[in-house]
Amino acid sequence: MIKQKRFYWSLEKGDLLPVLLMAPSVLIVVFVMVIPLSYGLFLSFFNFNFGRFEIARDFVGLLNYRAVFADRTALRSILHTLLFSFGSISGQLFFGTIIAVLLLQLPRVVQSVVRPLILMPLLLSQIVVGLIWRYIYDPQGILYWALGLVGITISDFPGVTASSTALLSTVIAHWWQVVPFVVIVLTAGLVAIPRELYEAAYIDGAGAFTVFWRITFPLLRDVYMVILLISGVDTIKIFDIIYSLTGGGPNNSTISISMHAFNQAFMRPNLSYAMALSVVAMIITFAVFGVPFILNNRTKRER
Amino acid sequence: MDYRAKLHVRILRFVILGIVLVVILTPIYIVVSNSFRPTLEMKQMPPQLIFEPTLIHLQRLIERDNFLRYFRNTLVISISVTFSTIVLGSLSAYGLKLFQSRIGERLTNVLLLGKLVPSITILIPLYVMLNRIHLTGTFVGPILAHTAITLPFVTWLMESFVRGLPHELLESANIDGATRLLTFRKIVFPLLTPAIASALVLVMRFSWNELMFSLQLTSINTYPLTVGIARYVGAISVDWGKSSMAATIAMVPLIVIGFFMQKYLVTGLTAGAVKS
Repeated sequence: MIKQKRFYWSLEKGDLLPVLLMAPSVLIVVFVMVIPLSYGLFLSFFNFNFGRFEIARDFVGLLNYRAVFADRTALRSILHTLLFSFGSISGQLFFGTIIAVLLLQLPRVVQSVVRPLILMPLLLSQIVVGLIWRYIYDPQGILYWALGLVGITISDFPGVTASSTALLSTVIAHWWQVVPFVVIVLTAGLVAIPRELYEAAYIDGAGAFTVFWRITFPLLRDVYMVILLISGVDTIKIFDIIYSLTGGGPNNSTISISMHAFNQAFMRPNLSYAMALSVVAMIITFAVFGVPFILNNRTKRER
Repeated sequence: MDYRAKLHVRILRFVILGIVLVVILTPIYIVVSNSFRPTLEMKQMPPQLIFEPTLIHLQRLIERDNFLRYFRNTLVISISVTFSTIVLGSLSAYGLKLFQSRIGERLTNVLLLGKLVPSITILIPLYVMLNRIHLTGTFVGPILAHTAITLPFVTWLMESFVRGLPHELLESANIDGATRLLTFRKIVFPLLTPAIASALVLVMRFSWNELMFSLQLTSINTYPLTVGIARYVGAISVDWGKSSMAATIAMVPLIVIGFFMQKYLVTGLTAGAVKS
């Protein structure tokens, strides 16, 4: 326990002022995050749909949660979200690393021109990104015209028109937007690595790949970890880009957890079921990304 | 490493970089050019690089769809959110520093856990709550939601700045007779400028671009740009000219801000990964 200190009723001494300074922020976070979260958790054990609501009558226990695991679309949405997350993150790390390393090897002038251009996709709304790529993927659109020049037709890569490739197509659109984020963050990490390390390695005759694997990667482990967490959490929440690119289709092949819960809550409405589903989404986020985040912080403190 | 690279390696680097730039810039060029392209030429392949630009899409947006109102709504929401997170965030960051015990440090670590809560998990019950007090369809919903979601990060960002301020600085102000609040106003807040700039561009980016909360919490009079665009793409066949123009209008202000505040955008984006 923290040792109790005397509490002063003065702004100049003790903890009264800090408490007052933090009060508005804490209140907002409590009212907009903590209370809704608890309320949603509470309602997920009931049969609730706007109208009248009686605690004794409408209590259904775990029924909504059992319904989630019996709902084929819900299970598919969970699978899609995880696949989207995995696909997006692996591509982000792969392309991000290559571009970041490459960019640093170019002359300074070139870097300073290229960098602001690379930032652009990051400033766009996901709904705009989805819109742009919807035009690109259009069967009569620019992508298939370009692919046609090298002999690839829509039957070779059906893009957003077929269940088999629709999710991959959304992942590609997402890469386009967020790879720049990885590039920017990695660059900041890369410039902090002393050049002598590389020079020594090259003198010893190490190739570019060995140098990256033996020097760069271990030194940037923490940076990669943070990228993984930030991007990971963002991909599990994915909604906007799918909303405008595919709307969840075709045949629900790109529907994500957030989107399925949104539809169930506001289009049906099937509120308490949607709340149960969104609680499952939160649990998945914590399990997949929260636990590594906490463990990573703990080991960092021990070091 | 340049001293070692052979000529063909250097050329290869430029070629790859060229491909990267083409991939990044083409989609942006597509949406901007389509917003001035006549509807009939929209699906003409190969795409016409040179065409007679038209303002018909802009005219339709403004005259028939009242698009300027969406723009104003986005401005109202994002400016309110940015202003309140900066004020509240810097006050809390100073508060965290003033705590005698180490509770401040613990609280800052807890702050970032909020990022792990998916928006949808908040949105559904928040909608029910706001609906009960008849605040859905107003600006209150998105402003509150965006503020609550970005506030932990902004506080954390500013806290790391405030923590870095030398103790002597605050003490000397105290010795000179300044109250702790005056110290905040005259010394701490001005020194926070870089953190404020980072917070400004990041929060603006979030609030300006956010869709899900606004989609459900606003109504026809309070729709922001993102919801306006969402309504265009929700249709079975998309009106490319109109929606491209809408997208262009939505993205240009942020690209301009991002360009001028590039340095702060980059420090803000990298803060979590590199500094701590």
